[in-house]
Amino acid sequence: MTKRYVGKNTLKIDAESKVTGQAQYPSDLKFDNCLHIKIKRATYPHAILKDLDISGAKKIDGVVDIITAKDFPDLNTFGLIIKDQEVLIKIGEKMKFMGDALAIVIAETEEIALKARNKIRVEIEKLEVITDPLRAIEKDAPAIHEDFSGLCTDYLEPNLNQKNILADHYLKKGDVKKGFREADLIVENEYRTQHIDQLPLQNESGYALYDDKKDEIKIWAASQWLHDTQADVAQSINMSKEKIRIIQTAIGGAFGKKEDVSVHIHLALAALHTKRPVKLVYTREESMIAQSKRHPLIIKAKTGVSSNGYLTAWSVEVIGDTGAYASSGPAVVHKGMYHCTGPYNVENIEGTSYAVYTNNTYGGAMRGFGTTQMAFAYESQMDILAHELNIDPAQFRYQNAYITGSVTPNGQKLGKSVNTKRTIESVIDLAKWEGEINK
Amino acid sequence: MRKKGRGMATIMFGFGYGEGFPDHSIAEIEITTDQKIKLRTAGADVGQGFLTTMVQIAAEVLKIDSSYIEIVGQDTHQAKNSGSTSATRQTFFSGNAVREAAEEVMGMIYHHGSIYFNSNYPELTVKDGEIYACDNKNGKISYWELAEIVKQKGDNLQAEASFFPETYAPDEKSGQSEKNYVAYTFMTQVIDIEVDIDTGIIEVMNVYTALDVGKAINPQNVHGQIEGGTVQGLGMALMEEQVMEKGITINPDMTNYLVPSIQDIPEFESTLIENEDSDGPFGAKGIGEPTLIAACPAVANAVYDAIGIRITSLPITPEIILNSLEENNN
Repeated sequence: MTKRYVGKNTLKIDAESKVTGQAQYPSDLKFDNCLHIKIKRATYPHAILKDLDISGAKKIDGVVDIITAKDFPDLNTFGLIIKDQEVLIKIGEKMKFMGDALAIVIAETEEIALKARNKIRVEIEKLEVITDPLRAIEKDAPAIHEDFSGLCTDYLEPNLNQKNILADHYLKKGDVKKGFREADLIVENEYRTQHIDQLPLQNESGYALYDDKKDEIKIWAASQWLHDTQADVAQSINMSKEKIRIIQTAIGGAFGKKEDVSVHIHLALAALHTKRPVKLVYTREESMIAQSKRHPLIIKAKTGVSSNGYLTAWSVEVIGDTGAYASSGPAVVHKGMYHCTGPYNVENIEGTSYAVYTNNTYGGAMRGFGTTQMAFAYESQMDILAHELNIDPAQFRYQNAYITGSVTPNGQKLGKSVNTKRTIESVIDLAKWEGEINK
Repeated sequence: MRKKGRGMATIMFGFGYGEGFPDHSIAEIEITTDQKIKLRTAGADVGQGFLTTMVQIAAEVLKIDSSYIEIVGQDTHQAKNSGSTSATRQTFFSGNAVREAAEEVMGMIYHHGSIYFNSNYPELTVKDGEIYACDNKNGKISYWELAEIVKQKGDNLQAEASFFPETYAPDEKSGQSEKNYVAYTFMTQVIDIEVDIDTGIIEVMNVYTALDVGKAINPQNVHGQIEGGTVQGLGMALMEEQVMEKGITINPDMTNYLVPSIQDIPEFESTLIENEDSDGPFGAKGIGEPTLIAACPAVANAVYDAIGIRITSLPITPEIILNSLEENNN
């Protein structure tokens, strides 16, 4: 049936406000009597905080206050899936990456806040910095977190470092040994991907205001999930969700980076503490160092195929660098593994994945969520196999592609809307691909 | 000298949180007496056009021009949970919630309209924000007039809906789950490149895409996602890397962290496959993440096609190309 609005190129409802500059991003908001915040962050990626001297910084004219962990002794840890991230590092505790916050500097202007931040003196005791997940999983590597994540299964190999593994996951479908025995050709490779910043144009920024009549904190800041950010802020500062009100501003891109708490809790504490409007805007440098990254994955992929070009077995081992904190890490690495064969029929599959803590900037959500990294591996494998078998890469994909009724590595039978083959047929027409598909 | 190469990649993406994780979106529609239709959602529009999509769905169901629809509730205290704008889920999840809320309101329009016209339901026509009896004897009333009548009865033309499909947690030992994700999106891409074997620089020339979208609620925005997603993928394939040495980022700025600029943008040709066969609104599936995923392998496969070298780590920088060429020659 003809539709009047769905399927039409309606102008984006925010197009006019954005091109005319009317859209309100956090920095466009104005509050009278507003204070400015800068965050003092870790001085080393893995170290014990021995002392924090804010006395010199506090004497600077225009500094209103400097908040440290001492001022809010009952703060809870926060995080998207598990709560393993400190709001402020306490004396005697560890900084685990360069983004960890040590102090919240509040001043009349941004310049004064910056000047005061630079006056804070930090004493530390350095620890071994772990940047390679392969080192982190070794039994003798120092534990980055004191506690176990609580996410690991009973199947985790005992010879691995139990504390530095955030989560482990497994895939077992069919009989992978049999599948490889039946293969005429087996290709095995290791793939590596890098740390990437989502790089939305808009850096993390926001305002907060404490309403003492309602005992409510209002926060104006971008979030990919208002109600989840609200919950994370509320539980970390021991207030009820109803007392934390988060108001969405125009969002200048996100790509996964605005799922985690960034400015929100520090803004809330500063607003509570000063009872004045407060503003916090990250620099690009701060945004890149302190907020989530795309997980670098190390993927070992082994694929078996028959001489006539049908996949018989696929196994993967995945190690993901989740950095200093969990964020979305417990969900990202194995989502990659679950997509290990791409959209191709394979009866025999085996996989193992580990999300591993290091002292790098933490890995979180980014467009593709582990499956982007995995596609680099499986589609390289498919191309290599096609060339080795001397089959047209389009034909090789086509004859292995999912159809209705195909079963994913998770054992999910695909009941509808499986148009993989149509995408191959369409693209070879569009690109005038040399060679034809045997349907 | 420049060598041409062409690479293909076919990908899939299971969208929504899946894996048994509770995942839902709530939306509310209200026809007010001041000639507005309020669409209440807490869902975040990150620039991709989420809210526009919701307005189009509501306009379609409510048979009224989209200009009457106003978005409200971008605030934790003004709307209920719409879930995250992530996991390629909003068109499917919030889209279904909006569609259902709009259908509820449409049901109310028919209910109260049939009382007003003293008719049965098939004898009513609803079009462009107005309600007629089919025989046209008793004129017509607008949605706003009906809202006023309903208000005087102490009721209103307002409905809330939640879309909350189930998935099942995979088995710990085997990862097996009867329904791990609500649905899957598929895409195939062919990417043409030219490799300058003297400088190692790769130029991306053409990108051909076929995307299994189910139904494009807004085709132009879908093409926007294909182009934006692919270019972000090309950044990952060719240049982007936050370099950390001993835990310290050495390029935390846009001078030394390279992303594609307007000069790096290739030509695009795309086909949308619209079988309207998914459980999403009007058969639509999510496409936000899938559009990025094929670029890296398609480029790597094109590099192999161009110079016969298989690169297995990203990004594929000019240095890597030159070093690989040199190793191959020795």
